[in-house]
Amino acid sequence: AAAGLGPARPFLARRPGALRALLGLARGLAAGPQTHFGFQNVSEEERREKIYQVFENVAEKYDVMNDSMTLGIHRVWKDILVHKMNPSPGTLLVDVAGGTGDIAFRFINYVRSVRERQLQQKLKRHQNLSWQEISKSYEEERVKPLGDSQVVVCDINKEMLKVGKQRAQHLGYSEGLSWVLGNAEELPFDDDKFDVYTIAFGIRNVTRIDLALQEAYRVLKPGGRFLCLEFSHVSNPLLSRLYDLYSFQVIPVLGEIIAGDWKSYQYLVESIRRFPPQEELKEMIEDAGFFKVDYQNLSSGIVAIHSGFKL
Amino acid sequence: KMAAAAAGSLRRAGWRLWRGRAGLRCQLYPPQRALHASAVLRRASDEKKEPLASSPQQQFESPPTDPQPDHEPQGPRSSYTGQGGQESEDYESEEQLQHRILTAALEFVPEHGWTAEAIAEGAKTLGLSGAAAGMFHNDGSELILHFVSQCNTKLSDLLEQEQKQVQLGKTEKKPTDQFLRDALEARLRMLIPYIEKWPQAVSILLLPHNIPSSLNLLTSMIDDILHYAGDQSTDFNWYTRRAVLTGIYNTTELVMMQDSSPDFEETWRFLENRIADAMNMDNTAKQVQSTGQALAQGLMGAAVTVSNAETNRAVR
Repeated sequence: AAAGLGPARPFLARRPGALRALLGLARGLAAGPQTHFGFQNVSEEERREKIYQVFENVAEKYDVMNDSMTLGIHRVWKDILVHKMNPSPGTLLVDVAGGTGDIAFRFINYVRSVRERQLQQKLKRHQNLSWQEISKSYEEERVKPLGDSQVVVCDINKEMLKVGKQRAQHLGYSEGLSWVLGNAEELPFDDDKFDVYTIAFGIRNVTRIDLALQEAYRVLKPGGRFLCLEFSHVSNPLLSRLYDLYSFQVIPVLGEIIAGDWKSYQYLVESIRRFPPQEELKEMIEDAGFFKVDYQNLSSGIVAIHSGFKL
Repeated sequence: KMAAAAAGSLRRAGWRLWRGRAGLRCQLYPPQRALHASAVLRRASDEKKEPLASSPQQQFESPPTDPQPDHEPQGPRSSYTGQGGQESEDYESEEQLQHRILTAALEFVPEHGWTAEAIAEGAKTLGLSGAAAGMFHNDGSELILHFVSQCNTKLSDLLEQEQKQVQLGKTEKKPTDQFLRDALEARLRMLIPYIEKWPQAVSILLLPHNIPSSLNLLTSMIDDILHYAGDQSTDFNWYTRRAVLTGIYNTTELVMMQDSSPDFEETWRFLENRIADAMNMDNTAKQVQSTGQALAQGLMGAAVTVSNAETNRAVR
């Protein structure tokens, strides 16, 4: 529709007034159906832009804010996610909306330790190895510490990727890690490529969740696993009240003090409230074609891990 | 894509309606998936090429960790027939795919043990990603339970075949102790390819959350053996016989795990001795019972005689 408006625009520009109003209306219609941005109602295009700006602003302070908002518990949540994944060496992971690389780094650590244990057990089993064979296995450990596992971090936001790459350099992660700029609704990968697809605290910011889920289905290999870590619905009423109080009173203030950005964190808290609860998200995942879809509540429902398989 | 979403929402609405009507029963059946072309779940027609070692009356008991117990009365490979009139007949269910993965994983057990890694390797041989092992518990208990259940089914088949042979008059009926010995030996021999990792399996089966299902499988196997042995007792013997045989099986299994003799000769000798003991005990019990009865009668007779003598003396 935008292309159709192109050649018409120079003509209309010469006729101001009513025609411009008409143009505005047409452009509004062309921008897509209405959706939500926090508690506001905006068009889809506008929402995408606004979210991009939010993350552009918070990218530098993203990790610090995570720690202060969740009092460090987000690390435990992400650890649980990777433990649930239980990746074996040779797994290909795509971490969508992976921004600053939290899940990717944990994945690499996990696979590295599993690989070490595997090599140790192999050595233990063959007690009568010659020196040549022993040195070959040490060589293997040095050359392939991850055992062919790879993780691709994909994010729509350049700033977040930049911060992620800096962190990786700082922490010393280089092997088996790649960074790709891409949109979760339209991933730049081929079909049937990955063993595991994760999206941690990212699917909330996707405008068309169903498209993202379909893309996830597409890029996963048969038998591949979809894992989604996201804020969800707290059913306990007392906890829910405390959580709301904390969310709306404390978090935006922290955002202002630490990151100098009240509005982004207001958006964050509101977007959590607008996100579908556990059962609804489970149905959406099933609609995309995943089987054995299940969810696990963490911290009484503040966060939930949804899992599904492409069978 | 829109059509898929529309179909999806229609299906969900239809399923909710159906669910409301069917009530509790519907918890047993998985949701309808036929409308979405599955990437992996095979059509029933593809499966004719692979033979499966299971009997038509499958006494399979699914472990409690499975949320949807498999109650299909048809053959093991035919799919669940939809209740909503949809065409899900051609596709296998998730259950059956899981069984296939576990069966494929068994060949990797000697190398990796009863672990999620073995399951991942099994999944890879079926053309799936190793991440499919995430469908199962991390501790490998489902793999072990699947294996045990498979062995029990094989044993049932074996015993049924034997019974048919006897009924057709082709072979003689074995004496009870011989029958029990052969049945237990056949069942224990199925452990031989995995005997190195079997201690690990036993310890996992003894974990609290596995005990209900492992106990279930054990008792049904013993029940099977005694049924084919011709046990028709209806008194307390039914329990004692099963308890004794279970004890024999468990102890022989333990002996087998640390037996290093050629072809496990020690184990079979141990088994023979235990069965002989059990038969003796059975005979002894019968003898004790009859002796006890005889003794009781003797005492009664003596008491009657004494009281008669007393009465006579009193009269005089």
